[in-house]
Amino acid sequence: MSYAHEIEEALKDGFLRRTLDKFAVEYRAGRDRVFAEVDERALIQRIADVKDDAARHMEELYEKFRSEAEKRGAVVHRAKDAAEAREIIAQIAKENDVHKIVKSKSMTAEEIGLNAHLEAAGIEVNETDLGEWIVQLRHERPSHMVMPAIHLSRGQVADEFEKATGRAQDHEDVHKLVKTARAELRPKFLAADMGISGANFLIAETGSLAIVTNEGNGRLVNTLPRVHVALAGLDKLVPTLDDALLALQVLPRNATGQRLTSYVTFIDGATACAKSPTGRKILHIVLLDNGRADLARDPLFSQIYRCVRCGACANVCPVFRLVGGHRMGHVYVGAIGLVLTYLYHDRAAAKKLCQNCVGCGACKEVCSGGIDLPRLIQEIRARFATEDGEPVASRLARYAMRKRTTFHRLLKFMRFAQKPFAGKDGFVRHLPMALFGKQGFKSLPALAKKSFRELWPKRDSWLVARDSSPRTTNHKPRTTKIALFAGCALDFSLPHQLVAAMKVFAHFGVEVEFPMEQTCCGLPLVTLGEKETALDVARQNIAAFAGEYDAIVTLCASCASHLRHWYKDTLGAEAEAFSAKVMDFSSFVHDVLGLTEKDFTRLDWKVAYHASCHLCRALGVKEAPRALISAAAHYTPTPEEESCCGFGGSWSFKFPEISKELMHKKLDNACSSDATHLALDCPGCTIQLRGGADREKRKIQVVHVAEVLAASLEAGA
Amino acid sequence: MEETATDLFIARAEAAAAQVHAVPDEAAAAREVEAIRAEKGTDGGAHGVRALTGGVGVAHGVRALPGGVGVVRAAKGIAQTGTCIVVTDDEALRLETMLPEVSVILLNSADILPDLPSAAPFLREQQTQGRASYVSFITGPSRTADIERVSAIGVHGPLELHIVLIGGRP
Repeated sequence: MSYAHEIEEALKDGFLRRTLDKFAVEYRAGRDRVFAEVDERALIQRIADVKDDAARHMEELYEKFRSEAEKRGAVVHRAKDAAEAREIIAQIAKENDVHKIVKSKSMTAEEIGLNAHLEAAGIEVNETDLGEWIVQLRHERPSHMVMPAIHLSRGQVADEFEKATGRAQDHEDVHKLVKTARAELRPKFLAADMGISGANFLIAETGSLAIVTNEGNGRLVNTLPRVHVALAGLDKLVPTLDDALLALQVLPRNATGQRLTSYVTFIDGATACAKSPTGRKILHIVLLDNGRADLARDPLFSQIYRCVRCGACANVCPVFRLVGGHRMGHVYVGAIGLVLTYLYHDRAAAKKLCQNCVGCGACKEVCSGGIDLPRLIQEIRARFATEDGEPVASRLARYAMRKRTTFHRLLKFMRFAQKPFAGKDGFVRHLPMALFGKQGFKSLPALAKKSFRELWPKRDSWLVARDSSPRTTNHKPRTTKIALFAGCALDFSLPHQLVAAMKVFAHFGVEVEFPMEQTCCGLPLVTLGEKETALDVARQNIAAFAGEYDAIVTLCASCASHLRHWYKDTLGAEAEAFSAKVMDFSSFVHDVLGLTEKDFTRLDWKVAYHASCHLCRALGVKEAPRALISAAAHYTPTPEEESCCGFGGSWSFKFPEISKELMHKKLDNACSSDATHLALDCPGCTIQLRGGADREKRKIQVVHVAEVLAASLEAGA
Repeated sequence: MEETATDLFIARAEAAAAQVHAVPDEAAAAREVEAIRAEKGTDGGAHGVRALTGGVGVAHGVRALPGGVGVVRAAKGIAQTGTCIVVTDDEALRLETMLPEVSVILLNSADILPDLPSAAPFLREQQTQGRASYVSFITGPSRTADIERVSAIGVHGPLELHIVLIGGRP
């Protein structure tokens, strides 16, 4: 089945959709509740620092861990790859005459494909984590790192249990199904010769394992059989007990919204064991390298070793929410799953999966170790693009965009070419829908008759008449000088939003320049993997904005975040002064001009707000736009304001079915109130939501925050 | 300060579905344990450790209890998470926290630490005495949400956790 077809099938799975939808909302609420009690950002930063340091000292930590664990009676093995790890564990089983194994959850065992190998050697292997047991019975992969069977209904589970036990099962009562698992697995624990577990932390100072569980199966696995094998990646090494206790303040909160899981077990060496012939537990600890030691030295990708496998990146992923873990991961699931699939497993699978990230940044915001997951996924895409040679789109983009004049001439040509099809309302109207195929879920924007740069000479006509005396003095009067960065979508398709912003600037005496040499910010080029051309346009923009400005203001959150972060991260000192001045419209008006309700006439609009991914997460701007809306109109809070609208640039054209569902959900949420308008700060989101509202004939009007403010000033004039 | 930590411990343990029995002293604690045993333990039949383990638990040295009630003593508690820290180096003792359907942990309120980081010195002391060790942090009964995310208490471990909290509360 093709990946696109798999996606379509997943979207039709009503049960999966309802379950994941409910989970997405409840998870957020539960997470917020338990994080309110701690300093979330500080803890995440400390985990990032500790784990980065551990990755840098992986070899020393390994030596220390091995020496301390062996002092306490454990045997420590190091496996260079999956095959060697499988063989080591099979050998331990053979040497100890093991016929039956019980396992608690280990993603690392999934990584090396352990069960199949042991079963081929004639050993019975039973998963004991409830979810893992269910997917084992069904011969499936886990669809989530923490909730492996989240894709299945109770009815499906009951069917599976009937097959496994030969007894009728209750198809409604989950608690009875849980009891069945307890009764069915208890004898297996008691009969097992060997237990296999993972480990969440390998603590070097004492050679101890920390294992985090809820069901209690993990403790039975490592206590009842005479042999215990713990399998973990080298990335699980941390220097001290304090480091493990630090991470434990975040891991359960992020994974399940718990302050701590039911059990955290610290095993330090081979304790007494009645069943063992030696009287002590036969304890083997297998540390898996599988590329980790090399990757730990990679300047960009080493940050993946901050991962504590909490699964939060899947829990907040809007695409996971729609298609589930089997389509948003391979062995590991969620954003980290996409990256690990590329690094550890199947590059062909990774290539498909990595295309399916909308780049909303929700994962980065909640990650226990603050891993910049969207950046890593973007880098993997760029590497695939380079390896594959360039697709036509990239070649065209590079040709068109290297020179601004060529690019802008091309846009003007497109405007001419679209003439027969463009409606008066800014949408492409007069084409048969069949031509759009799956893209037909939203009306597509037409290029404007005149671009902003063509309107610029007429800017004097934009001033909104004002009272003779300013109503407030708390904004900086007539001294602020800014340069406006338009961005392609606003300049050529939505210039009226820039005109609205100009009215606000003019009204409050801000001096505005519009450097004509500015061009595309370069973000679409980076998405296509055209890094060299992206650097070219970045340098053109930096040169265009070399003048003396207090700020470089843009109405596009995507441009703002790219100019601010990518420029500085990629060009370093060359871009520093430029990037530091970049501001989004709402922050400039709210934070720099200091405008409040005293400066506006309150409109009777009821305004819902969509927090664009690039604004609320990439730039961390949350308060300014909401405060401005409240000042100029009636802000109407609606559910999930910060979830992605499903645009994601060219992504929406690659995955139209998913994009449509995200858009639909967003509009449903906005329209669940009595809002008349939906305000936002990004032209990408505008194209998506305005086009969707038009196609779905929604009553709500989609506007930029600047348009709300301009309308308020006009109402007061 | 101590009273605040105790109150927080009780609130957080109860939030994790543990049942807290606050008692003034050791004698009252013993009576409380007997009451729990009498209520939950019945005759050691279907709920007894012996029945649960098919005798294997006994081979492990698990005490034959008057019913499916395991009783252990915690070394420390953690207020912020409602956690009991139990030193379970001894295998029989460890099984007593795992196999029975009802688990009882005795905790002295003077042993309650404020938060997870403050447990590091105790844990380090346990792990640097020149012997192997097994320390259990227990927060509420065993639980799962693996089927349709429905929270179910009592999977492979105890179905109920009773904390008999000694002192610190009138």
